[in-house]
Amino acid sequence: MTDKTPYTMSESKDAGMGTPDGGHKSSGNVKIHVSHLQKVFGKLEVLKDISTDIYEGEVVVVIGPSGSGKSTFLRCLNRLEEITGGIVEVDGVDIVGKKTDINRVREHVGMVFQHFNLFNNLNVLDNLTLAPVELKKASKEEARSDAVRMLARVGLEDKAGAYPSQLSGGQKQRVAIARALCMHPDIMLFDEPTSALDPEMVGEVLQVMKQLAAEGMTMVIVTHEMGFAREVSDRVLFMDGGYIVEEGTPQEVILNPKEPRTKDFLDKVL
Amino acid sequence: MGMIITKYGAVLMRAMGQTLLLALLGLFFACIIGMIFGLMSVIRNKPCNIIAMIFVDGIRGVPMIVLAYFIYFGIPYLLNNTFKIGVTLSALQAGTICLALNCGAYMAEIIRAGIQAVDIGQMEAARSLGLPYWKSMRRVVLPQAIRMMIPSIINQFIITLKDTSILSVIGFPELVNRAKGVVANTFMSFETWGIVAVMYLIVILALSRCAKILERRLNHDR
Repeated sequence: MTDKTPYTMSESKDAGMGTPDGGHKSSGNVKIHVSHLQKVFGKLEVLKDISTDIYEGEVVVVIGPSGSGKSTFLRCLNRLEEITGGIVEVDGVDIVGKKTDINRVREHVGMVFQHFNLFNNLNVLDNLTLAPVELKKASKEEARSDAVRMLARVGLEDKAGAYPSQLSGGQKQRVAIARALCMHPDIMLFDEPTSALDPEMVGEVLQVMKQLAAEGMTMVIVTHEMGFAREVSDRVLFMDGGYIVEEGTPQEVILNPKEPRTKDFLDKVL
Repeated sequence: MGMIITKYGAVLMRAMGQTLLLALLGLFFACIIGMIFGLMSVIRNKPCNIIAMIFVDGIRGVPMIVLAYFIYFGIPYLLNNTFKIGVTLSALQAGTICLALNCGAYMAEIIRAGIQAVDIGQMEAARSLGLPYWKSMRRVVLPQAIRMMIPSIINQFIITLKDTSILSVIGFPELVNRAKGVVANTFMSFETWGIVAVMYLIVILALSRCAKILERRLNHDR
């Protein structure tokens, strides 16, 4: 069990308000450093040359047309995809370094998937406690009480005994967020967390994410929710064709895009 | 009919015992072999994949009766005559090896298919939390895979149980082998083979019943 206090609602600054100035609300520490990242699947060059830094406490939203490489970019950040070229450093650790234990890196980088990926063979509580207990982060009892706390944060304390198949999509995704939080990560990656949800369930998941953002979590979010991006993000990356075409505050990128490709994309989705 | 049961009932029951013994031994080792080669074919390691593929294709491509002759007669002959190593295998040993290899190859395929049928997202989610590959496999992927495999595994068990009859050709005193003896003594072909068929049927029906119950138990959370 880490001694870090979990982010709680009561401690949060201005829940759901986003940042006023749109600049980096960070302390300036780089959490993820990406330099000339390249990813090739067979002959398909999905990521051509991606460089960016993600700062502590920053909320970065990645937008772009499908096939632009957004999800691949996100999956390279915790090495779910092996990177073909370039550098990805998490907290200064080169994630493909020879001496790097990627599992240790991943302990600090939570991930939430489009299709939830809850462990179907385990109930909600066991979904949350599996990793902390297996990785000796906490005793079984500690992990359980921590898990119950996390479930309460996402409003699902009454679902501890349920199996994933008994939950709605929105509930599954909130459990998935709680599962990631049980490892007490300091970075959270979201891969289209609301894309597989029925419309009426999108709100409940975004609410939990807003709360996290307000509590100062470093977040990288691939999403098509432009309203959410505008409200919560500090920075928006627009990706197309394996490059970051445009980046800036949501005001800049979403409201006043400069690049024709960004304009074109936003015309279609807004 | 009555004469066969009163006079040869005990012989046939004992033979059924031998059949079950052989099947159990064969299945036990087949599960181990199947697990090893099944896992070898799913991990990301080319040499392991190739070895598993050669094993499965090799065994599946040879009829079991040929495998039985090869193991029971062929290999000891080669060892004795060419390498001057005196080895003899009992019919039970040879039969167990033969069943284990044969059934193991099919089990490996069932296990490979079962693991690959589990959504890749399950492994990714486990890995994203920092769980190592084998822990993720053991705690998340395999429990789900095994549940999906159960109908196929039971099916394979039944096939293997019946395949023990092939090993009558190497003289193992299982049910078919003994029944041949009964027919030779009594000339009562119809009655004897009828009784043998019913004996197999009862054992296999019981096995499938158990399998159904097991399947239902495992699906309690569905």
